[in-house]
Amino acid sequence: MELDKIERLLERYDEGETSLAEEKLLREYFLNEEVPEHLMSYKLMFMFSAKQVEETFEKKTKVNSTNNWYTWSSIAAILIIALGIFFFNDSSRTLNESDLGTISDEELALQKTKETLNMVSQFMNEGKSDLVYLKEFNKTTNRIIEIDQ
Amino acid sequence: MKESTFLNIIDPVKDKMYRMALRLLTSKEAAEDATQEVILKLWKRKDKIKHYANIEAFAMTVTKNYCLDQLKLKQNNNLRIVHQNYESHHASLQTEIEVNDEMQWLGRIVARLPEQQKMIFQLRDIEQYDYDEIAKIMDMNQTAIRVALSRARKAIRENLIKKHNYGIR
Repeated sequence: MELDKIERLLERYDEGETSLAEEKLLREYFLNEEVPEHLMSYKLMFMFSAKQVEETFEKKTKVNSTNNWYTWSSIAAILIIALGIFFFNDSSRTLNESDLGTISDEELALQKTKETLNMVSQFMNEGKSDLVYLKEFNKTTNRIIEIDQ
Repeated sequence: MKESTFLNIIDPVKDKMYRMALRLLTSKEAAEDATQEVILKLWKRKDKIKHYANIEAFAMTVTKNYCLDQLKLKQNNNLRIVHQNYESHHASLQTEIEVNDEMQWLGRIVARLPEQQKMIFQLRDIEQYDYDEIAKIMDMNQTAIRVALSRARKAIRENLIKKHNYGIR
């Protein structure tokens, strides 16, 4: 392209009067051809503009991440509450009617009860037999008191 | 509107939104966050934007407003968004380094422009929108846009020439 045509375009470019098509002509000229010294500043400007377009948004665009977060956290909360109620209301903690009278025969029930009570008293006596030596303390104190009197 | 439909609409625009945010906020991290935030905002209003004739212009307007809000917030907090986009120059040709220097210098010149001129320069010279769309995005009339654009272009070039003259003398 002739230089004087370029210069005329540049004058209008400076005034903001060039159309997009004309600016495209200028851009092609400055990016591809030898540019005289006095127009170097324009060349740099067009190079700058061309280079800036190379900058791109590299992050992945996601639109409903926060929505997802809310839904999942609310689901988790509901689950925790539901499971909590389920486990703490567990029926095994209250007395169950069917667990009480497993022996229906009275004779057998009496015998079983006796056995159980015997066992309890046996353990009681075993435990008590270890306490015999406590009497020794009483003896000693009595003797001392006698002397004192 | 389904997610995939929405993403198909947003996909060609998101780079432009990001570059707009980057131009205004300077920091890459802040620009990424802003873009993500705006996309989410648009998604939440998906039922409304269906009826918009020009979703792209609307998305750019929202980006612009969001970034300006962010800047205001930062100013109120007495903070400045500082960019940390320092890239190491790996071994390259001398001319390439020189060109990179010039580009960085230009970036700094553009960053010093008033916000309105910065945005219009971004929309026109980098994203190549026509005046009609810029008018919609910026909510300004076309004459005002041409004036601001002309000022931006002249200011950038003047600064460039000034720098080069200093370099020579």
